[in-house]
Amino acid sequence: MSAPGGFVDAGTVGTGKKYTPEVCIIGSGAGGAVSAALLTAAGHDVLVVEEGGHRTRKDFNMREDVAFAQLYQEGATRATKDLGITLLQGRTVGGTTVVNWTTCFRTPDPVLDHWRDRHGVRGLTSADLAPHFAAVEERLSIAEIPLADSNRNNRLLYDGCKALGLEATPTKRNVKQCMKSGYCGMGCPVDAKQSMLITYLPDAVARGATVLYRCRIERLEIEGGRVVRARGQVLGGPSGRTPTGEVVVIEAKRFLVSAGAINSPALLLRSGLGGADTPIGRRTFLHPVVGITGHYKDLVEPYYGAPQSIASHALAHRGADVGLFLEAAPIHPVIASTALPGFGDAHRRGMIELPNTAAHIALAIDGFSPDEPGGTVTLRPSGAALVDYPIPPRIWEAFRFGLRKLAEIDLAAGADVVRTGHDPSIEVRSVADLAKIDAAAYDVGRVSVFSAHQMGGCAMGPDPKTAVVRPEDLRHHSVENLHVVDGSVFPTSLGVNPQESIYGLAHLTATRLHASWGQSG
Amino acid sequence: MRRRGFLRLGLLGGGLLALSSVGLGMWPALLRHAPRRKLELLDEMEFAVLAAVAARVVTQPDADPIELAHRVEEAVRFGAPESQDDFKKLLRLLENGFAGMLLDLRPRPFTRLPPEAQDAALLAFRDSRLALRRSGYHALRRLTAAAYYSNISTWAGLGYPGPPSISVPT
Ligand SMILES: Cc1cc2nc3c(=O)[nH]c(=O)nc-3n(C[C@H](O)[C@H](O)[C@H](O)COP(=O)(O)OP(=O)(O)OC[C@H]3O[C@@H](n4cnc5c(N)ncnc54)[C@H](O)[C@@H]3O)c2cc1C
Repeated sequence: MSAPGGFVDAGTVGTGKKYTPEVCIIGSGAGGAVSAALLTAAGHDVLVVEEGGHRTRKDFNMREDVAFAQLYQEGATRATKDLGITLLQGRTVGGTTVVNWTTCFRTPDPVLDHWRDRHGVRGLTSADLAPHFAAVEERLSIAEIPLADSNRNNRLLYDGCKALGLEATPTKRNVKQCMKSGYCGMGCPVDAKQSMLITYLPDAVARGATVLYRCRIERLEIEGGRVVRARGQVLGGPSGRTPTGEVVVIEAKRFLVSAGAINSPALLLRSGLGGADTPIGRRTFLHPVVGITGHYKDLVEPYYGAPQSIASHALAHRGADVGLFLEAAPIHPVIASTALPGFGDAHRRGMIELPNTAAHIALAIDGFSPDEPGGTVTLRPSGAALVDYPIPPRIWEAFRFGLRKLAEIDLAAGADVVRTGHDPSIEVRSVADLAKIDAAAYDVGRVSVFSAHQMGGCAMGPDPKTAVVRPEDLRHHSVENLHVVDGSVFPTSLGVNPQESIYGLAHLTATRLHASWGQSG
Repeated sequence: MRRRGFLRLGLLGGGLLALSSVGLGMWPALLRHAPRRKLELLDEMEFAVLAAVAARVVTQPDADPIELAHRVEEAVRFGAPESQDDFKKLLRLLENGFAGMLLDLRPRPFTRLPPEAQDAALLAFRDSRLALRRSGYHALRRLTAAAYYSNISTWAGLGYPGPPSISVPT
């Protein structure tokens, strides 16, 4: 039957429910929501399925523990196989866009050129994307934030960069009437953040789309080169994560997988699309992050204000070496407690300095060298995704370089002590101490590494041996009614925060899909 | 070279987790910290180890290691079933005097060590040649610290005023 429209809790529809929309979109984040809005507006009958709950402003109480449990994959405990990299990713209606820090960049031209030259991606120039970025920027109120509106954490990054002669620039953000509370990562409490939850998803719903939430698609059933149905499990219980035993079946004409990097490749693997030489799950990129904390004599209050408003790409191009970009990170007590090294009294000493602490991060731009294959997504015996990302020596070298630069920047901005994310802690009090960062050990569990930008795993490209979907319409190379539309299709990382690249690509692709579906009926 | 080194340690590390229960019965855990609520994932021994770790990670007088261990158990249950299982093995590995003897010349179970020796056992995990033990140390440390600092009552002690009161624009 046709779906009823609106936001629907899968727990209320009754087991064995079968839906027959024209288009089924799996995942309601950046890729899924934009696709849903455009396809619905073009007259298609769309059902979006989301495993997370439908949490809204009234649920966003600015508490980290509540947000992690309600809004993040695996309660924010997701990590790579050797636990070397913590993976932060959203899981709620609106996806990761509900918890992200609102920094917006168009895909840089050199990245698009690299994809064309090295990965055979045609039809994706900045001119192709420009009208789509413009439309998204308009809908999401994406605009540059004045330098004067930066919080001190960001301002220190800016001042430190400038003191060293490094480029640093105010970023664009997708916000409207932002009160700069600083709690973007816990869901915006005032609906200022223009996330998918309050923009493209309501747009789609207003035109008749249904968002079925608390339903996890377990597998796609493929017959004769087509997806014939998707099978979903209804989730419930106090955590909203326990299968209730009820199932939902979706028999759609076309399927879009927008479950995000990591979960999209995992779903394709669970659906039997893997195989010995499949590229599915390969080339997973993370913009792996290392960070420093700087202690300042006067208040920084890194928990208040727009979390990110300054970025530096001064170190993005390092010749043959892995490039980095630099940003600030908001830190509240829980994140601080996991980021600061040590335990017992030593850990406590760092914690009580929180109000005077700045946190700055270096994100490695992974995937641009042939000897940097990135990570892999495979399936655990339970069917859950397993991410393996052995950090190559090139990236450890970039971390060393990045931490040193960040320490220089914070010293230049006036910090009296800078600490890297090493355990045991490394303290830098003057330029003479910078050598300690060079001499430190770089290995799993010696320095803390995290990722908030998962990309790749279902790369686009013309060759089925190396790519999962075709660039022109993000269609699977052999399954004719299956498309992947999210951050997983990027052949490399981006060197900028990913959300706008995903919105723009989804916008362009939906336009193309509508045109081609219109012809094929 | 580096990659091969990592693989070798990785394999040894994996074997370690499998061995985490070997010989555990020989010298039973000291169940100083008994659960207050029904356990969903851990057994009483694993719980006691976790609470003992919490008592060393968070040394604030107001910290309640039993409550912290309950919260950590809750958090771990968000993970994949396999990660939950690994977490149980990690606690057993830390407790295990047999593994402690092999790796650190520390034959006593973790729960039977005096506080300073427990700290030394945690530091031995931190500084281990085995990536698995280093990662395990961070997992324990982060989960227990996060459980403590998610409690509003801890914020004032940090000078963190908490979220601002908000007036929602209409
Ligand atoms: C803390 C944090 C801060 C960030 N800050 C920024 C920033 O400032 N700027 C920026 O550009 N980017 C930022 N990002 C990243 C950005 O938000 C993501 O890259 C982007 O949202 C990814 O879009 P996506 O469509 O690939 O997947 P997502 O937005 O993650 O959406 C995927 C959705 O699919 C659902 N799903 C997964 N599997 C299934 C299944 N089997 N069945 C049903 N549903 C499923 C998930 O629950 C999720 O809701 C941040 C990320 C984090 C974690």
